[in-house]
Parts: sequence; structure tokens; C-alpha cells
Amino acid sequence: MGRRHLNSVFTLLRQFFPPDLSAHYLKAALTPLEQTVAMAAGGILIAIVIGLITGIWVAAGLPGHRAIYAALASVRSIPDLTLGILCVVVVGIGPAAGMLALAIFYSAAVGKIFSDLFRSADREPIRSLQATGASRLSVALFGLLPLRSKDILSYGSYEFESAVRCSVIVGAVGGGGIGTELVGTINALDFRRATTIILLLIALIAVIDTCARWIKQRPALLFAVFPLAAVAFWQDRPSMLAFSHSISTFAGMLPPALPHEALVKLPKLLLETAEIAVGGTFFAMLGGLPLGLAAARTFTPPWISLPVRRVLEALRAIPEIVWGLVLVSVIGTGPEAGIIALALHGTGSLGRLYAESFENIRKDPVRSIVATGARPLAVAGFAYLPLAVAPLAVHTLFRLEWNVRAATIVGVIGAGGIGQALYNAQQLFFYRQMAAYIAITWVIVATVDYASSRFRSDMGLMERYA
Amino acid sequence: MPAGDYSLEISDLVVRYGQNTVLNGLSCAIRRGERVAILGASGAGKTSFLRAINGFVPAASGKILVDGIDVSKTRGRALREFRSRIGVISQRHDLVDNLRVHQNVMAGALGRWSSWRALRFLIWPLPEELEAARSALRRVGLEHKLRARTSSLSGGEHQRVAIARALVQDPVLMLADEPVASLDPALSQQTLELLCRLAEESGVTLLCTLHQPHLAEHYFERIIEMRGGEIVRERTGAGRLDALEIFPAWGEGI
Repeated sequence: MGRRHLNSVFTLLRQFFPPDLSAHYLKAALTPLEQTVAMAAGGILIAIVIGLITGIWVAAGLPGHRAIYAALASVRSIPDLTLGILCVVVVGIGPAAGMLALAIFYSAAVGKIFSDLFRSADREPIRSLQATGASRLSVALFGLLPLRSKDILSYGSYEFESAVRCSVIVGAVGGGGIGTELVGTINALDFRRATTIILLLIALIAVIDTCARWIKQRPALLFAVFPLAAVAFWQDRPSMLAFSHSISTFAGMLPPALPHEALVKLPKLLLETAEIAVGGTFFAMLGGLPLGLAAARTFTPPWISLPVRRVLEALRAIPEIVWGLVLVSVIGTGPEAGIIALALHGTGSLGRLYAESFENIRKDPVRSIVATGARPLAVAGFAYLPLAVAPLAVHTLFRLEWNVRAATIVGVIGAGGIGQALYNAQQLFFYRQMAAYIAITWVIVATVDYASSRFRSDMGLMERYA
Repeated sequence: MPAGDYSLEISDLVVRYGQNTVLNGLSCAIRRGERVAILGASGAGKTSFLRAINGFVPAASGKILVDGIDVSKTRGRALREFRSRIGVISQRHDLVDNLRVHQNVMAGALGRWSSWRALRFLIWPLPEELEAARSALRRVGLEHKLRARTSSLSGGEHQRVAIARALVQDPVLMLADEPVASLDPALSQQTLELLCRLAEESGVTLLCTLHQPHLAEHYFERIIEMRGGEIVRERTGAGRLDALEIFPAWGEGI
């Protein structure tokens, strides 16, 4: 990168400051903010209802339960933003599309988790119920549901939290709410207002984190989702009734097809997506290692670890797609913006996880290295790094898996790869082509998820990643 | 820096963990090159005593002088230099498993090396650095394990590598915290004999906590008994190393 180029990047970045905090604009931003929260509530309510029904269906072994379970597992592999694009095409731009996308994605997620929960329930009480000659459905309703009510609530609250995070970003493709507002300000080159929206977004995520903690302690608070969802259903009522238009649009996507010239470009697109995922993970690792070490409270004094932790939180609070939007407007479209976006968010996530890994290593060998009079960096190289290498590898592998999904997502906002091709096809109303790209994305993500989980269980690395 | 005949001078040392007093006004002076065993039940304060000497546990009051240097007055670079002359061997598990043997051994040189040299050595060890590791391993009879995985070592080999690391430090004082606690009786004798012989050869002061009185009497010139954070008894051991060549060679398969 030449000096001139760097200068222009700097000039562009400066246009993002200071944020527009005028009362007038803040008031205007309230509407999309409310839309986002309502959309998440509506989507998750639908998801919990459908998830419960399918979960019980699968657990009771009613007709077609295997097919339903397979369908749930595979729908979960479509990246949320890809679903968002599909829904925007079908029901039109606005929060109804966002809500629908969330409802589909989380129905699959919740349905799968609930069926797994039910299937792992204690068999003893179930058998005694079966002995009374009860039908399979009533065994499920009167046996499984009460047995698992606590887990249902705790998983429900966890999914709500991630649904709100997700509702922030489906807006980026026209799903309504704060995401749509953000894209609007950036497209209008109104960068100072974009900063305002990003700050609002960070604040919203912080509020959600707090609420999620409350809900985890008192899962009954989850019922507050009903009034919020009612608002969403009422607001999105008219557009949801435009069924005939939706069906004809959806029919226009079938069968998926790629013209010859798009087929020729496909390997390049796939390579670009892989580049974004691998490059983003690699640079996230490069950034996460020193920052994670600096954030480890056992390694650095508080006056270093505390501020570094704040930096990591800030990097992580901004979703990949928002980093992507900013970067595309600063350095232009292309995979570079995607790589940097994934690297920035990933540095925040990996940095924190690495810091935890460094804090959890055995103390005795560290003390023995410190006792030789080693300098801090030598202690890091001779003790912290080798002792934490296994958890570091697990976290990095999970990040790579996650980043394959994220790479298709950031493409949508102009960061290259298959995601960008998908978005371009949508913008040009090439719906059959778009459907083909969605199918390809689906296959890639499902394959990587499957390969990664197989690899992990083979290696015995089953640590969960929240 | 010469500071009289004493390698270690401790006066009225008090160490507390919160409300709990673990060392209660402990005083002793240890001559240069002396081999001292510290006996006592678990919880007598032996480990805290050793950890106070190289500054891992702060003294609430009292004074610790190693070669005339007061630990409590050293910070940062000075503390690192101070620690670099004190070799430490503990029960077990104080080597870094994911490093190779030569890396663990040369960790003893970290007090003299720059950060850059330390990191470079991990990736690209120079021939002379490997030679230094090899000669330290030769002294503990493990030359053939130079590049072995640390996790592949047996219990006795593990402790000998820890001794080699302490030798690389070129120490004035060696602190051994129950170095044979996880070894069987025969290996315990071999390991202690090696440790004491090396200390005698290089004129290093050795302070070693133990559980077994008979081992203390065999190998050490002086025995300190601790109870409740205080020294309750001192006596003289035999310390006749040359007379105790019970195990002439390192046993196979022990």
C-alpha cells in the first residue's frame, strides 16, 4: 500500500467522525431500533412455537420424524443473511422479511436443539408412562415436556440473545430495522450518521447481553417476548398478507440455474470465499495472540490487561458485516475488505478466548520458568505458549468454521466471493441464478460444519464455543 | 560479590497468607557450599520457606540475604538477575511438557538471554547452544535424550532434566522442593545422590526439603526440622557421599 493510498484511507476514515448525535437524528433512529427489537421478538416467538412442535414430533417418533430432523439440521446450515436475502426477495424490503428470515433460521435451530434435548431425556419415567398404554404423542406431551421444561427455557433465552444480535445484521440486506438504516447512511455517504448507528448498535448489544444475563437467572422473563412479538406481528401485518406476489416470486427462482459464463467464474468465486475465510482467520490469530497474551490477567499487570480487554470487547461488539460495510466504503469492494472485516471481529473473539486459555494453564511450570529469571517475553515463549497450545488450536479451528459462514455473509455487502455474486444476482433480478448461489453456499457451509465436527470428535476436541 | 562465609542468611522471617501465619520468625544462616536438608510434615512451612527465598512469596517481616543481596529490595530486572543465580527443582510437573528436552534444559539460560535470543532459540537453536544443553545433560546421564519429547520421560528422568536446567543457570544456590516425593525409594536415592554430588562438585549451596529422615541423614551435612512455621531442631547428618556408592550405575527399568 502506497503512502498516497494510505492518506486517502485516512481521509475517508476521518469522515466517520464525529458521530451525528443531534437530537433530531437520534429521534429518527428510534424507529429502526424499535423495529429491530420487535423483529427479533416476533421471529423467536414463531421459532419457539415451531421448534417445540417439531421437537416433540421428532421425540415422539411420529411419521416422518427422521426427514424432519434432517431438514432442521440442514436449514440450520444456511447462513442467516442468505436467508435474509431470500426473504427480502419473497416478501419485499422491510422488517417483515427480517422477521421471516429469523423465524426460519431459528425454527430450525430451536427445533433441532429441542429434539436433541427430548431424546436425551431420562428414559425411566417415559417407560412407565408407555406402560399405561398412552399414545406416543401423549407420552411426549405429559412425559417429555415437563421433564425438560427447565432446559427449554434456558435454551430459549440463549437463542433469543443470538436472534437479537442476528436481527441487527439481517437488516443489511433489506430486512428492515437498524441494519437497513446503517446501509442507507453508508450508501448516502452520510458517514457520521453511520458512526451514530454503529454506536447505537454496540449499545443495543450491551443491553441485550445484560438482559440475557437476567433471563439466564430467571428464565420466566422470557415470556416478555409475547408483547414485543405482538407489536411486530401488528406492524408487519400488511406485507405478510401479500402471499400471491410471494408465491409467484418464489416460483421464479425454480429451478436454480447458472448460465455458462457464471459457471466459468464459479471456481474463482469459491476460491475468493475460501481466501476470505482462511485469511480472516489467519490475521485474527496473528492479532489475537499478542492481544490475548496482553489481556491474560496472570501474565500482565492490570494497567495493561484491563485496557486491552476493553479493546477486544470493542472489536468483538461490532459484527463482521458492520466492519465490512465500513471497510468497503473506505478501501473499496473486494476480498481485502472481507479479510480485514473477519480479522478485526475475529481478533476480538479469539483474543478473549486465547486470554482465557492462557489464564487456565498449569501454574507450576510457569513458576519454574519465571524462577530462572526469564524476561516476560521469554516466559511467554517458554511457558504460556507451549502450555496453552491445545486450547488455542481448538479455538482457532472453531473460528475457521465460523468464518466460512461469515465469508459468504460479508460477500453480500461487497467483500467479494460467492456472497457478492449472490447479492449481484438478486439486485439484477436473476432469481434462478441467485437460487443456485444460495444452494452452493448451503452445501459449502453444511460440508464444512460436518467435516469440522467429525475432525473435532476424532481429535477428542469437544470444547464448546459460545 | 563476596559477602562473608554465608550463602544464605535469614533473620526473623515471617510469612503470612491473609490471617494465616505460615512462617513465624524463622532465622538461620547457611554456609557457602553447605548441603542442608529441611524435614517436616506437610504444612510445616517448608515450601513457603523456599518460595520466600526467591521472592515468590513476600515476607511480612524479617530479612533474607542471598550472597548479601536482600530479596525484598529487588524489583524487575534486579529481581530477574537475582533469580537467575538460584536453581529450583520441585516435586514434578515443573517442566513444560510441550517443549523438547533441550528447550527445557536451556530455559536455565533465560536469565542471561535477551527476549529475542530466547524466542530465536525456540525456533532455531544454534550448535553451541545445543552443545551447552548436551553437556548439562551429560552431567545427569541423559545425553541421549537431548531432543526427546518431555512427555516421554520417566519420573526419574524428568527430575534429572530439572537438575540439568538448574545446572545451566550456573547457580550459587539450589532450592529443591521435595525433589523425590513422586519417585520410588531406589530412584529417590539415585536422584538425591546425583543432586548432592553435583552440588558438591560445583560448590553450590543446596537447600532441599524432604519427607524421609533416613535420606536426609545419608546425603546431607546438616538437617533442619520444621514444625508450625518454625525451626524446632537442628542436627548434623553424615553426608558421606563417597561412602554411599550403593548404586554405582543408573539402574535399568526402575
